[in-house]
Amino acid sequence: MKARMTIIIVVAVMIFCFSVVAGPHVINPFALDETSKEILFYIRVPRSIVAVLMGMALGASGAVLQGMLRNPLADPYILGISSGAALAAAVGILGGFSFLGTFTVPALSFAGAIITGSIVGIMAWKKGGLWPERLLLAGVGLSFLFSALLMLLMSLSSDDGLRKAMLWIFGDLSMSDWSKIPYGCFFVATGILVATMRAKALNALILGDEFAHSLGFAPHRERVLLFVSVALMTAASVSLGGMIGFIGLLVPHIVRFFLGSDSRLLIPAAALSGGALLCIADLISRTVMPPMELPAGVITAIIGAPYFLYLLRGKNVLSR
Amino acid sequence: MIYYYAQCAEAFKRDLIGRRQVKKYSVLFVLFFSLHSFLWTNVAAESPKRIIALAPSMTEALFALGLGDNIVGVSSFSDYPAEAKKKPMVGSMSNPSIEAVISLKPDIVVMALDGNRKEFEEKLRSLKIRTYVFRAKRISELPQGIRDLGVALGQRERAESLAEHIGAGIRAISVKGDATKKQKILFIVWPEPLIVAGPGSIADDAIAILGGQNIADETRIAYPKFSIEEIIRRSPDIIFIGKGTGMMEKVSHGLLDRLNKVPAVKNKRVYYVGDYLYRLGPRTVTGIEELARYMEAR
Repeated sequence: MKARMTIIIVVAVMIFCFSVVAGPHVINPFALDETSKEILFYIRVPRSIVAVLMGMALGASGAVLQGMLRNPLADPYILGISSGAALAAAVGILGGFSFLGTFTVPALSFAGAIITGSIVGIMAWKKGGLWPERLLLAGVGLSFLFSALLMLLMSLSSDDGLRKAMLWIFGDLSMSDWSKIPYGCFFVATGILVATMRAKALNALILGDEFAHSLGFAPHRERVLLFVSVALMTAASVSLGGMIGFIGLLVPHIVRFFLGSDSRLLIPAAALSGGALLCIADLISRTVMPPMELPAGVITAIIGAPYFLYLLRGKNVLSR
Repeated sequence: MIYYYAQCAEAFKRDLIGRRQVKKYSVLFVLFFSLHSFLWTNVAAESPKRIIALAPSMTEALFALGLGDNIVGVSSFSDYPAEAKKKPMVGSMSNPSIEAVISLKPDIVVMALDGNRKEFEEKLRSLKIRTYVFRAKRISELPQGIRDLGVALGQRERAESLAEHIGAGIRAISVKGDATKKQKILFIVWPEPLIVAGPGSIADDAIAILGGQNIADETRIAYPKFSIEEIIRRSPDIIFIGKGTGMMEKVSHGLLDRLNKVPAVKNKRVYYVGDYLYRLGPRTVTGIEELARYMEAR
């Protein structure tokens, strides 16, 4: 297992470095002229970092949620956090707000995500704890409500505003710059750290509340911690670059095929693989049709889904 | 009578040239339909009394043809001329309300090929509501488009003079444009995410008329999502930013900050322009003139 984990780390780092120098024009980092220097440090590096952060957040929170909710279909977007973020962002984009300059839309979406996360948490709270089924249902219910409001907003808006909002919602990494990275880093790192530290408890929770209890974990307290970490990561990821499908749902499964489902390994590995996958996807999205760019979320699913289906043959899902 | 048939033959020819790519059966159908409407307008020889314009550009065109008083409904964002804002709204360009349209009892519904949905036109026709589709999508097609619209709406003379005016305006600018040497230009429609005017867009046509070079001209769609990296690499001399819904200056701040090494930004040649080039209509020439002023400024 250690060896496989090392491989994942090495590959992820290589992918990151590759995605920075490759693209429609390959940049040689050892022979930089003025233009390539600027492109490298102000466009590509921040962009790849944002891709990595988003992918890590999604991969890790997917892994946590699938265990915590004991549901192989759970992904970070199922809790409604992302639709709350999308709704808030769309309000910002379509309403033309700019009270915080370029931070307006990310800040709005982060606020939207956190508020939605709190509502889901409150709705799922009963008898002194968070219940997985309630979390899931509250999340699904809220996300339906917010998606409907989003659709309402879009059908009332101008056509070009709608296009912009759609592009944002489908994931847009092109505007990534250094300014948001510290915040993103902080929330994603906190989330992953908390989740990894509680990974043992998560392992116990997967086996059932009673089992976890007998192992000395307080199921409700653990779930609250894990839920907060997931909410932070998802909120950070959505506000960094919109919604990117596939990673949160399927990357944890792919990683499970290789490493098994011990959360202590699974969470960091899913984070790294998610980051690496989004990095590749972004590289492809800006390379295939220059000078145009495609939405990275589309690419993650196009390359990831067939691979997942290929791995799925003859495997046990959520194998213990 | 013979005259009418000669006119119809003309229309036939024009239609055939314009719609080669469309499938055969729809060509036949449209031909039949245009023949029918053509005969109808000529026989009737007067303007329809109740017109609905389903695109802001069409509202503008109808007002310019002196049919403003006959307009009974418009699509959202029909904000020019000022009287257009007082007309009842029937919904957005891409998704108008069929009930609102029907309840206004229009004699004809004027739509634009660029913007309105074909299904909506089909639906109106199946409800026996007359439609007219404005075919022009490019600046070069605009004068003829206006003429055809005038013929269909019984305003042949006014359309002729408007088309003449537009054509002359474009020709006048084209000549002036030769004086400026080929400047590299980028027309930004929205900064975040970055959408620019590519080939097939009106702004791209305008840049070509002015003898500039659109740095986004090798994309394949009219309004592509563009790469910031490529802007830096292609280093445009001038950047135009469309005003769109306003607040554009604040929204573009972040983008322009990142482009501060690009000649256009360094030399303060970033210009916020009006919405003229988003609508192919009577004011398009104003939009080209606006670009021309900035391109000549130095």
